[in-house]
Amino acid sequence: MKESKLWVVISLFITCCIAAFALSQVYAITKPKIDYQRQVAGLHTALAAVMPEANRFEPVNDDSTVWRAYADDQHIGTVIRAAKQGYGGLVPVAAGIDLEGKIVAIRVASSAEGLKETPGLGLKATEEKFREQFKGKTLSELRLKKDGGTIEAITGATITSRAVTDAIRETMEKYQDIIIIKGNE
Amino acid sequence: MSNKKPSRLAYLTSGIVKENPTLILMIGLCPTLATTVSARDGLGMGLAASFVLIGSNVVVSAVRKLVPDSVRIPIFIIIISTFVTIVDYLMQAYQPGLYRVLGVFVPLIVVNCIILGRAEAFAYKHGIFDSLLDGLGKSIGFTLVLFIMGTIREIVGNGTFFGQAVTPAWYRSAPMLFAIFPPGAFFLIGLLKALVNKTKLGGNK
Repeated sequence: MKESKLWVVISLFITCCIAAFALSQVYAITKPKIDYQRQVAGLHTALAAVMPEANRFEPVNDDSTVWRAYADDQHIGTVIRAAKQGYGGLVPVAAGIDLEGKIVAIRVASSAEGLKETPGLGLKATEEKFREQFKGKTLSELRLKKDGGTIEAITGATITSRAVTDAIRETMEKYQDIIIIKGNE
Repeated sequence: MSNKKPSRLAYLTSGIVKENPTLILMIGLCPTLATTVSARDGLGMGLAASFVLIGSNVVVSAVRKLVPDSVRIPIFIIIISTFVTIVDYLMQAYQPGLYRVLGVFVPLIVVNCIILGRAEAFAYKHGIFDSLLDGLGKSIGFTLVLFIMGTIREIVGNGTFFGQAVTPAWYRSAPMLFAIFPPGAFFLIGLLKALVNKTKLGGNK
């Protein structure tokens, strides 16, 4: 039986079936865990982008919009995440705030992450040229120039620019009590 | 029965020193060189390959009387790759940090010649328990070498052991980076092989 032609075929077939079944079981068990780990890794990348010196983040509130940033156990600032209605949909942003209350950097989610702004106009909010305006700004300065602040809107994309700016300002205002700034600690 | 026991024990012990896969048989060198940047990575890779080797040895041995000679290699590969994929998923789910470091070398365990070699040369011809002992012995030998390589390279090249500082700060500020670069791996395995030859751990050959 061991060497019959039919058994050659059947034995391979059975081996494949058992292997496929075993793998499907392992896949089903590990899938949620793997998805969760990927999400954590992705989130960490997003947070690290706006607070490059930090190597550890801890959520402060339950909906994970405010995070404490640490560099080797030393508290160096806060990272906030927010989203506000733009032109094509929600515009998710993140901003790093140092202990003086100044913005370190901001990040606008890419279109791969679900940003639906117009290419060539609103999508420019993800570019360095727009984002670097926020560097060093404090809460009171975070408004478009048209609205009496200091941020230059992207030409032809005021709604997106306003969504990014207001999302950060409103979130900073809302969580003023838990964003630690030296002096009002 | 009385003269069978020592030979069974030899299945286990031969893989650790006398027939150490990496340093005596010189097989499975790719992961040995590529993944031993730190003690943790070396140990992780060793344990992952061990799981696959022991599992595939036992399963191959269990089905050896049913497997036709003409398609035994495809069947071995299916068995091995199933175990590898299980390790891959488990590591992604429970050791994501290690998985990011080991990366492509985890799926590449499939083509690790220690595993297919033991399936073909040993498990296909021996009983389940003997194959288990053989897999265990070879696994210990393989993991041990990877762990030693990783430890030496991490201490020399980074000044740490399992991420903990073990050398003075002045050394850690300018460690011998050569050790954790790829040439350092070749250099170190050459030294280890020379040591093994000198001490004749593998017997006179």
